[in-house]
Amino acid sequence: MADQRFNDEHYLTFALGKGRLANKTLEILEQVGITCEEMKDKNSRKLIFVNEELKMKFFLAKGPDVPTYVELGSADIGVAGSDTVMEENRNVYEVLDLGFGKCKMCVCGPASARELLQRHERIRVASKYPNIAKDYFYNKKHQTVDLIKLNGSVELGALVQLSDVIVDIVETGSTLRENGLVVLEEVCPLSARMIVNPVSMQMEKERIRDLVLKIRNYLAEKGEA
Amino acid sequence: MSKRLLHTPEGVRDIYGREYAKKQEVERVLHDLIAGYGYEGIQPPTFEFFDVFSREIGTKPSKELYKFFDKEGNTLALRPDFTPSIARCAAKYYMEERIPLRFTYKGNTFSNTSNLQGKLKEVTQMGAELMNDGSVEADGEMIALVVEALRAVGLKEFQVSIGQVEYFKGLCQEAGLDEETELDLRTCISGKNFFAAQELLSERNVKEPYRGILLKVADLFNTMNSLSEAKALVRNDRSLAAIERLEKLDKVLKLYGVEDSVSYDLGMLSKYNYYTGVIFRAYTYGVGSAVVTGGRYDTLLGHFGKDAPAVGFAIVIDDLLEALSRQRVEIKTSAPETVSYDPQIPGDFEKKLELVQKMRREGKNAALTASAGKGRDESHG
Repeated sequence: MADQRFNDEHYLTFALGKGRLANKTLEILEQVGITCEEMKDKNSRKLIFVNEELKMKFFLAKGPDVPTYVELGSADIGVAGSDTVMEENRNVYEVLDLGFGKCKMCVCGPASARELLQRHERIRVASKYPNIAKDYFYNKKHQTVDLIKLNGSVELGALVQLSDVIVDIVETGSTLRENGLVVLEEVCPLSARMIVNPVSMQMEKERIRDLVLKIRNYLAEKGEA
Repeated sequence: MSKRLLHTPEGVRDIYGREYAKKQEVERVLHDLIAGYGYEGIQPPTFEFFDVFSREIGTKPSKELYKFFDKEGNTLALRPDFTPSIARCAAKYYMEERIPLRFTYKGNTFSNTSNLQGKLKEVTQMGAELMNDGSVEADGEMIALVVEALRAVGLKEFQVSIGQVEYFKGLCQEAGLDEETELDLRTCISGKNFFAAQELLSERNVKEPYRGILLKVADLFNTMNSLSEAKALVRNDRSLAAIERLEKLDKVLKLYGVEDSVSYDLGMLSKYNYYTGVIFRAYTYGVGSAVVTGGRYDTLLGHFGKDAPAVGFAIVIDDLLEALSRQRVEIKTSAPETVSYDPQIPGDFEKKLELVQKMRREGKNAALTASAGKGRDESHG
C-alpha cells in the first residue's frame, strides 16, 4: 500500500478533514491551480483520489485522524482545525493558517459558575477536548480539575450537572444562549490549519514550499480585497 | 494453555527469521563502517539510576521513562537514549584523559509513550560518540560518518539537515528574552509552529526588530536559504560565531565529499536539552521521523564531573530498516543451507554428517535434518 509511493516518482499526499473543511480547502487549492477532478464526482466510492499530472493524491479522513496520518507519514500534508491539531498534539509542523473555520475554544457554563473559576477549588470540567482543557486549567490557570471526556452535545454536561463547566468550541453562541449557558472564559481562537510531516518537509522541500507560498500569497491578496 | 500467553504488550515486538537476518546485516555494515573510523565498542547497562536521565541532563521528559525501584528504594530507569550513559562512563573511567575518545554502541532503548499511536516503545539504536574533541573537524567527522553510513546500507535518497542551537540562543540573548520565554519559543520553533511563535512574541512584548528576526527563524519559507542570509540578520557575537562555525564545517564536509547530502536549517532545534552547538538529523522516505539524530553536547559531561566537549549521533535501526524495506532497497542475506539424511538407510547419517561438517569448515551455514516425514520420533507403518 504505502509502497506504491515509491514505484517511480513521489506523490504528494494530502489528508483532508471530512466535510466543510475539505470543501473549503479544495476551493483554495483550485484557486492556486491545484484541482482534483476525481473528487468532484459525488457518486464516486473511491477513498483515494489522484491527480496524475501534478503527482498528487488526496484522501478524506475524520478530523482528529488527520494529524495521525500526517505524523506517521501516510500523508505528507494535512488540513485540520487547530482544535484537533492542539488536542492530538502530534509531532507535525504547523505551517499555514488557512483563515476559514474561525471560532473559539471557550469555558462555558451557567453564569453562576463564574465564581468557581476565580478560586482554586477543585471543579468538574466536561469536554470533547480533554487535553486542551487540561492544559488550560493546569498550565494557564493553575487550577486542579476533574476532567470528564464526552463525545458530543457537551452543553448537556453543564445542563444536567454532570460537570460545573464545559470546554467547547463556540461559533455563534446560539446553542449556549438557548440553553441558558454563557461563555465564561476564552481559551484560544481557532481556525483551519495546514500541517506537514517533518520528514516530508525535508524530502519534498521545494514542492511544499512552493505550494505554501502560493496559498499564502493567495490568502494575502484575498485578505486585502 | 491460554492463547493469551502468545501476545506481546503494545509497542514491543518479536523480530525473527529473514527480518532478523536483515537487521543483523544492516547492523554489521554500520558497525564495520563506524569501527573503520577508529571507534571502539562500549556497553553500558540497560538501566541506570534515574538521575542519569533526569531533567537537568535534558533527555526525554520523566513521564516518558520506564521507572522502577531497587530493593533499597532507589529509582531506576530503562535507558531512553545512550548518550547520558556513555557520558557517565567517560567521566568515570577517563576522568583525567585529555586525548580524544571514540566510542560506538548498539542496544535497545525504551520510551514509555502513549498507547495506540503506532509507535514502538523499544527500538534498537546504534551510535557513535567522540569525546574530548571540540573541533569543527570532529563535527565534520560525525556528519560524514552519518552520510557514509546511510550510503553503505544502500539508501539513495536521504537528506542530512544541520542546525546550530547557539544561533537561536544568541538571538534570544540579544533580544533579552527570559528563560521561560526562550523555552516556550523553542517549543514553537522546533514544532515549526509559526502562529504559536507569533502569538507568544506579542504576548510577551518582544520588541522589534527582534520579533521579526525570531519569526524569520520560525518561518520555514521565504527566508534563510543560505548561511549568509542568516548571518546578515544578527549582530550578536554568539550567533555570528555559530554561523562561522557552520561555514567552517561546510568546508570540512566538502573535503569528505558529502556536501551534496547536507542542508542547513537554523530553525532546527532539538527537544533534547543537552545539545550546545551543531545539531543534525537525517531524513529519508518511508518513515515519519528522522532516522538519525545527533549533535554537540559540550556541557553534558560536566554533569558527571568531567569538563569535556563531545559530539555524537544515534541511528534508529528499526526505522532505518523500515525505510529500506519501503524503498525496496535490497539487503543481502543468505538463508542457511539444509542437508537431509534418510534414517532408513544405514550409514546415510554418517555420510551426510561428514558433508555438512566440511561445508561448515568452508564457512557455509548448514543444517543437518532428517528427510521430511522420516524423523526418528515418528512411527513408521
